Parts: sequence; C-alpha cells; structure tokens
Amino acid sequence: MLSTLIWLPFLGAIALACLPASISSKQIRWLTLWLTGGILLWSLSLLLQFDLHTPTLQMQEYLPWLDSLGLNYQLGVDGLSITLVILNSFLTWIAVFSSAEHVERPRLFYSLMLICSGGVAGAFLAQNLLLFFLFYELELVPFYLLISIWGGERRNYAATKFLIYTALSGALILIGFLGLVWLTGASSFAYSAVVGQSLPMLSQLILLGILLVGFGIKVPLVPFHTWLPDTYTAASTPTAILLGGILAKLGAYGIFRFGLGLFPDAWSVLAPGLATWAAISVLYGAMAAIAQTDIKRMVAYSSVGHMGYILLGGAALTTLSMVGAVSQMVAHGLILAILFHLVGLVELKVGTRELNVLNGLMNPIRGLPTISALLVLGGMASAGIPGLAGFIAEFLIFQGSYTVFPIQTLLCVVGTGLTAVYFVILLNRTCFGKLDNAIAYFPKVEWGERVPALILAWIIFLLGVQPSWLVRWSESTTTAMVSMVSPSTTPMITITTAMQSTEALMIPKN
Amino acid sequence: MEQFFAQTAWLIPSYPLMGMVLSMLWLPSITPLTGPRPAGYLNLGMTGLACLHGAIAFHATWQQAPQYIAIPWLQIAELDLTIPIEVSSITLGAILVVTSINLLAQIYAVGYLEMDWGWARFYALLALFEAGMCALALCDSLFFSYVILEILTLGTYLLIGFWLNQSLVVTGARDAFLTKRVGDLVLLMGVLALYPLAGTWDFQELAIWAETANVNPTTATLVGLALIAGPMGKCAQFPLHLWLDEAMEGPVPSTILRNSVVVATGAWVLIKLEPVLALSPTVLSVAIAIGSITAVGGTLISIAQVDVKRALSYLTSAYMGIVFIAVGAQLSNAAFLMILTHAVAISLLVMSSGSIVLNSITQDLTQMGGLWRRRPVSGLSYLVGVAGLIALPPLGGFWSMLALLDGVWRDRPIIAVILLLVNALAAFAVTRVFVLMFGGQPKPMTERSPENGWLVTLPMTILAGFVLHLPLVLQTLSLLPDWAVLNKDVALVLTWSSLSGCSLAALVYYGPIAKPIRLPWQALQNLLAYDFYTSRIYGVSVVGSVDRISRLVDWGDRYLVDGLVNMVGLASLFGGEALKYGNSGKTQSYVLTIALGIILITLLMTWSSLTNLSLVIGG
Repeated sequence: MLSTLIWLPFLGAIALACLPASISSKQIRWLTLWLTGGILLWSLSLLLQFDLHTPTLQMQEYLPWLDSLGLNYQLGVDGLSITLVILNSFLTWIAVFSSAEHVERPRLFYSLMLICSGGVAGAFLAQNLLLFFLFYELELVPFYLLISIWGGERRNYAATKFLIYTALSGALILIGFLGLVWLTGASSFAYSAVVGQSLPMLSQLILLGILLVGFGIKVPLVPFHTWLPDTYTAASTPTAILLGGILAKLGAYGIFRFGLGLFPDAWSVLAPGLATWAAISVLYGAMAAIAQTDIKRMVAYSSVGHMGYILLGGAALTTLSMVGAVSQMVAHGLILAILFHLVGLVELKVGTRELNVLNGLMNPIRGLPTISALLVLGGMASAGIPGLAGFIAEFLIFQGSYTVFPIQTLLCVVGTGLTAVYFVILLNRTCFGKLDNAIAYFPKVEWGERVPALILAWIIFLLGVQPSWLVRWSESTTTAMVSMVSPSTTPMITITTAMQSTEALMIPKN
Repeated sequence: MEQFFAQTAWLIPSYPLMGMVLSMLWLPSITPLTGPRPAGYLNLGMTGLACLHGAIAFHATWQQAPQYIAIPWLQIAELDLTIPIEVSSITLGAILVVTSINLLAQIYAVGYLEMDWGWARFYALLALFEAGMCALALCDSLFFSYVILEILTLGTYLLIGFWLNQSLVVTGARDAFLTKRVGDLVLLMGVLALYPLAGTWDFQELAIWAETANVNPTTATLVGLALIAGPMGKCAQFPLHLWLDEAMEGPVPSTILRNSVVVATGAWVLIKLEPVLALSPTVLSVAIAIGSITAVGGTLISIAQVDVKRALSYLTSAYMGIVFIAVGAQLSNAAFLMILTHAVAISLLVMSSGSIVLNSITQDLTQMGGLWRRRPVSGLSYLVGVAGLIALPPLGGFWSMLALLDGVWRDRPIIAVILLLVNALAAFAVTRVFVLMFGGQPKPMTERSPENGWLVTLPMTILAGFVLHLPLVLQTLSLLPDWAVLNKDVALVLTWSSLSGCSLAALVYYGPIAKPIRLPWQALQNLLAYDFYTSRIYGVSVVGSVDRISRLVDWGDRYLVDGLVNMVGLASLFGGEALKYGNSGKTQSYVLTIALGIILITLLMTWSSLTNLSLVIGG
C-alpha cells in the first residue's frame, strides 16, 4: 500500500524524536537505517505488483477528507512516478548511510530526514492538486532546518535563499492550481477532475507558464537556478544527496505531471521554446561548471545541465524521449548521489574542496585509491559514457527528440561533451597528478564510508549494461501521455512525416 | 568439436573481461600480500585462451558462410536495440590478430614493466581494450560500435594516465580523452541522424539501404561527415591527431597495441560505414582529403621528430590516413589489407625500438647510435618491421599498397602520386630512425646496451617471424593477386619509391652532412618538429574560447543572475525593516488591522457572488 511509504517515515520521525537523550547518535543512525531499509523493501515490493501494461493509475487509495474544499486523500502510482518513488526510498536509505556516525542533535537530524522522505513520497503519490501542494510545501521546512543547522560555511545565507526560492515556487504552483480549478469550474482539486480540460489557449498558456516557472525553480532551470549552487554546496553530504537526488526530481516530475499532463495543447505550442530553453540550460550549466574551482560547486552546476536534458525529452514529446526523460531522472539521481557522497568524503579526509589544492589522490599507498576510482566512475557516468546508467537515458532522449528538434538536440550533445570537459578537469586535478607527501596524512577511509558509494556504483553499472530494468517502467504511461496531445499540433506532424519518410525509404529494401 | 568453438566464438570477449574483473581483486588490498604479478599472469592466461579459441574458431569458419547471432538488449517504444553479431572468417581473423598481438604485447610487458607496482591496473586496462576490440570485430551494428568506441575512449584516458603522477602524462591523458570524445560525440550526432533516415543501425542493412536510398544530398553529406568524425578521432587524423603523439607518455607495451590495433578500431568502423559514406561524393572526397593531409603531413612530421616513439606514432597517423584514402576511393579490401599489414609491422617497430629504449634509458634519437653491433636481434627485427611496413616486395606492406595503388592508378592519378610520395616519405622516415639508432658510432647513452631478457626479445622475434611469413599467410587465404593480373608497372614504380626513400635517408644520415640536420628554412623545420603547432592552435582557439566563455558565464551567473536575486532580497529586507517601525506593539492597532482585513476579504468574496460576475468571462 502506498500510504505506508508516507506514514511510516512520519511515524518513525515521531518515534525517533521521542527517544530518550541517552541513546547515542550511532544507535539512532542504525535504527533509521533499518527503518529506511524497511521502507525501501516495501517500495521495491510495489514493483512486483506494478502492471507494466497499464498506462493509468494503479494501487489507488481514496479517503474523503475535506470534500467541500475539494481536498481528498487520493494516492496512486503510474509509470511516471513508480521509479521516482523507489528512487526516493533508496536515496533516503543511502543518505542515512552516508551520514556521519556522530552528528549533533541526532534525533532531530534523522527525524527531519524521515519527514523529508515521507513528504517527497507523498508528493509523488498524491493525485489531488491540493494534496500535492501540501506535501510539496511540507518538505520545505525540514530541508531548511537540515541546511541551516548541519550545513557548512554560509549555511544561513544558503538556507534562507533556498527557503525564499522554494516558497516562491510553492506560491506560483498554488496560483496555477487555484487558477486552473477556478477557471474550469471543476468540482474538486482531484487530478482526474481537471485533466482533459478545454480552456481557451490563452488561459492555458498563462497557467502553464506560471507552473513552469514554479517547478522550474525547483528543477532548477536557468535563470531560476542560483539558489542551487549555494544550497548544494552549503548542505551536508546527506542533505545534498536528498536535495539533488530527489527534490530536484520533484520539480521535473511536477512539470511532466501537471504542466504537460494538464495542459497538453499549450505544452505543444510552447514545445519549441521549451526545447531551446532546455538546450540553453544544458550549455549554461556545463559552461558555469567548467569555471568552478570548488569540486562540490562543480558537481552542483553539473546538475543544472543534466536537468536540462529532462526538459528536452519532455518538450520533444515522443514516447522514446519521454521514457528517456523519466529514466534520466532516476539515473541522474543515482549519479548525483554518488558524486556528492564521494566529494563529501574527499572533503572529510583531505580537508579541502579546492581544485587548486587537491592533487594525486589516486596514489595507491597514501592517497584515496578506491574513492578516486569511484569518482572516475561517477564522473564518467555523468559525462554519459556507455555502459553506465547515464548514457542510455541521455541517448533515448536524444534519439527521441532528434526528429522533432534536431538543432536543440545537437546542442545538448555538445553539452555532454562539455560535461566531459569539466569532469576531466575535476579528475585530473583531484585524482591524477603528484601527491604532496608532506600533507598526505589522510585519515583512513572506513568500510562503512565506502559501502554507499560501492552500492551506488554497482547499481549505476548494472542499469548501464541492463537498461531495460531502468526504462521499461514508464513506457506505457508515457505512450499514453504522448497520445494525449492532439495530432494536429506541430511537433506531431514533424514526427509523422519523419516516420512516413522513414517508411517510404524502407519499402524498397523489402 | 571445432563447430562448438565456432558457435561459441561470440563469447571470446568474455575471456579478457574475466581477466579484467579478476584483476580488480589486486587493485586495492591484495597487492601488498602477493605483489601485483599474479594479476598479470592471470590476464596473460586469459588472453592465451582467447587467442586459442579464436584460432580454432577461425579454422572452423574458414570458407563457411557467416553466422549471424542476435542478442536482445533493449526494446523500447519503436526502438529495437538488439546486438547483432557476425561470426565469420573475417571477424574471427580480426579477433585472431587482436588477441595474438595482445598476447605478445602482454608477454613483452612482463619483461618491460618488471619493476612496476601497478600491474593489476595495467593488465586490467589492456584486457578492457582487448575485450572491446574483439567485441567491435564481432559487432555488426553502428550503435554498438559507437558504444564500444566510447568505452575505449575512457580506457585510453586511464591507460595513458597510467603513470599518473607525471604532469606530461596527465595532460596527455586529458588531451587524448577530450580529442577522442569530440570525435565520438560528432559520431553520436551522425548515429542519431542516421536512424530516422535508414531505420536501422545494422551495417548489413545499412549497406542494403544505401544502395537504393534517396536522401537529400545536403543531409547525406552532413550525416556522412559526422560519421567520419569518430574514426578521425580514433585514427588520429588531422585535425584530431594531437592525442596519439602525447599518448607516447604511456608505457611502451600499451603503445604497441595502441599504434597497431587500437587506432585500427576507427578504421574498421569507417570501412564498415563505407556504403553509407558513398551516398555523398563530397564525404568521400573529404575522407580522401583528410587522409592525404594526414598521410603527407604525418610522414613529414615524423621525419622531423627526435623522439623515437613520437616518430613512429606520426607514422601510424600517416598509415591510418592511407586507410582513409582507401575508404574514400571505395577500395575496402585494400583498406582491410592495409590495416592488417600495418598492424603487425608497426607493432614490430614499436617493440624493437621499445627494447632499445628500455635499457638505453633514452628515447632521444640524437643521443643514440652505433647499436647495430650491440643489438643485432633488435636491429634485425626493426629491419623486418621496416620491410613489412613500407612497400618492399615481397612483404605485407607491398601487397596492401599495391592493391590500393592498383585501384586508383587509372582514374585518379593525383591520389596515386600522393600514395607514392607518402610511401617514399615513410621509407625515408623509418630508415632515418634506423640509421640514427643503429648506425654510426656509439654515444654515451648507447655504450652499454645489451639485448634484453627473453621476455622482451622473444615476443619481438616471434612477431618478426610473423611479419616475414605474412605473405605466405595472405597467399593461403588467397588474398594476393594472381601473377597474371598483376600490374607490373605499378609494382615497379612502387618498389622504386620505397627504395629511393630508403636510399635517400641512408645517404643523408650515413653521409657527411653535419648532424643534427638543419633545414635551410628553420621555420619549416620548427613547423614540422612542433607538429604544425597544433597544440598551440588548439590552446588559442578551442580551449581558449571554452575557457573564456565559461569564465564569462560564471561571472554573469555570480554578478548578473544571482546579483539581481540578491538585490531583490536586499530590497525586501529593507522593506521589512521599514515596515517594522510601523508596528507600535499595541493590541488595539493589531485588532484594527485584522478587522479591516476581514472586511476587505468579505467584500471581495461577496462581490463576485453578488454581482453574479464570474471571472471566467474575463478569462
């Protein structure tokens, strides 16, 4: 049942908060690890019940709540959200795993992490606009606290910036939702009640624009991204994993579910613009990343670029590009998590994140060889080297969108090249080179610190060589979403003509 | 029994892969206990098995129809990514070449890297290359070829960066990765663009499609140009040739493989793509142009190098340029033959020069000399390599060059002249290296230079034997032309061009001219010695502009985009400060504010219902 994914973390958070103060941070960490592990297993068991061939919502739950407001407790999962729900449970587990054994105020810390996990799960599962909004706003406070209490330098500035931006994003989304229900005169905020509306194009465009900006802040898309480098850099490693791995995906998910899902006609009108926006985001993020000298900031900027691919996939609106976009959300979540974990470890052991100071960590005796090797893998996965999870997702997006937006797609391919540039800069400066023996007295890397990265690396590799485990979940849902767009709109014409010309060319062969 | 090996031949890449995975055990923690050597021996054994399997399977499939195997990988929406595998005598022949050169290079490495502590990493990477190349030979799909090429690009980065604490190594690895990646990504653009046109990525089907395809010429040209970019990077063709020379910072045993078979991966894909490239005459001309520039430029630059490894690496670029010319002239068989003869000959040259470098402790040709009497085995091997590489009958290079020259002799005299010129220049280059190393009087660095142990010498002599026997092998495989149809004029001219190159070099470098030789135009000599200043041009143009743009973006991000946001934040902060003074702290004023607010809201809410005005109208 889906509710478990929401309420078990909440109950766990309350239980943790009630623990006596005598329990050590280490014990609380283990307790949380077991709890989140249980949640992860539960979410994986959903996969067994999930029907691959049903495009509509599955495992729905309904509980009347404030019916007069149109706010009911409605949950459901489909191909768009199932992988993200699992990603959420998994990365929460990894984030708890990658937390230091001794943190200040452990009960509050782990409670907040659990609340974040439950809130995000709720947002992914909610099938009522207001309910989604509530969950969306709910995780704002715990994240704010996680950044401002356990963050690094400039944490208060970053946390406040995050709070303001996210609050603005929430406000815009609420305006969009209210406007939609108001204008359509729908009886409730249920997703099913407003889907398939037939508003005039102008209102659709305005509402979609509001939602795009609202979710675009969360994703984030250029130019609404400046909270991201500050926040990701100031956040501690587990918080950064949750922020970059899951929270950003909530924005992308929102764009697909509520932007594309509720305004398909306006979406197809805006699609060329969105694709261009995506390409700009990709190139901008990559270019900004190249100029960074702080490795955590560099990884943070890489996220800006990679989220652009998702928008490109959505804008192109072919089944292939949509499947690629959903896969990219998962792949990017995993890759960002491993990168943040490793960068956090480097900072912890070496004591700096500065590219100009770091050197030669691949040294087998006195450096951090395993961490460096995994960093190479993470960086290469992010740069889209085949055999790792990032490649297939990006490739599906590119192949799916090439027929619709060739120029933008090729620009995004250039973006992958630039990704390789900054990761080579990162690897060359941190892992390669001569280790300065005078400073090379690094603390030993414990096994417990390696395990999260090893697990992530294994999954990234596994999904890279066996991509059907990554991509197959979303196929039927995205096919339905694509067919929702009326075939008279421009992108579809391009696709069909492209298909026809392909067929025409293939006829002589037979 | 043989059939069993033929049927399971598609599993050959698994041998080196297994070796690679097992050597990972030696990476972190076992090495201090056992030393790094077991990882090397393990890989050596695995390569031996792969070679043996390949040989048996090759024998079994000889003169049989090719078998096609399809392994489903991913099916999503309208895209069907099935791995098509072709098991035929050609693909197994390629595997045989790859695995045997690998086997020899790995034995060589046991001797060459005797004192090195990083065996596990080195052999794991060699195994990755071996697996990748075997897979590439078997794979019959452009998409999966692209996948393999990309993975090998990563392998190149790690392999060149093997001695990672030297700064030249680090920059070499970086440049190799980025240059190859540029080629790969343009190839990816071609891959993306080709599918909507052809509806397939299988080489077989692409060839059938290309016969009847009716594609817009501009599109065909653009796609074709994108498709040759990947092989250009892999084969170190102008202007993506920079990396091969810098890659010489890596260990010699990996150079043996890189200069012979790794660069050939690009050529292999290029040959398979030939039917698609032929859709546009422009693309073929471009391939010929690139190949010619690289071939002539590469041989000239090679003559101007003082580093023996670099001199040989530019020759590799040049011979890959000849393959480009062959593909551009649509002479696929000559191209295949050229890849084969070049691979065995150049790896022999690298092996023998490496064996000199190993215990003369210098790569600088100006510090060498007089080694003939001290190093007869290496010297003889080098000479065999020379004879195998350039067009000297009856060894391999002659036949491949002859096949190529024969094809262009009548219709394209300019290409024929270029080929003869390149052959003469290459002959000059290899002879020059020979004279500088082995001729003349010993110098301080070469006074004490005995032959190496058997681990280095044996693989070298075995390979020399193979180079000598290559014509017989070709004869058995009936790849040599009949005596009756042999164009004797061409053969004669070709032989003369080789001989004149060799004798000119011998004359110049044995002769009384003062060494090192100075050209009358110092600028020209520098131009060649510094590789047309390519790295500097890149530094100013591509690297410089990316650097500048990224700084600009970063500045804009910090001060414009973020600055605007911070200004808004600051303004609201001031606003809040100002509002603060409006609060008196008296309960009455708060109540008044609340009351006013409620009235306002009520008014607003009733307004719409009272006037019965729906805002929908407004919307």
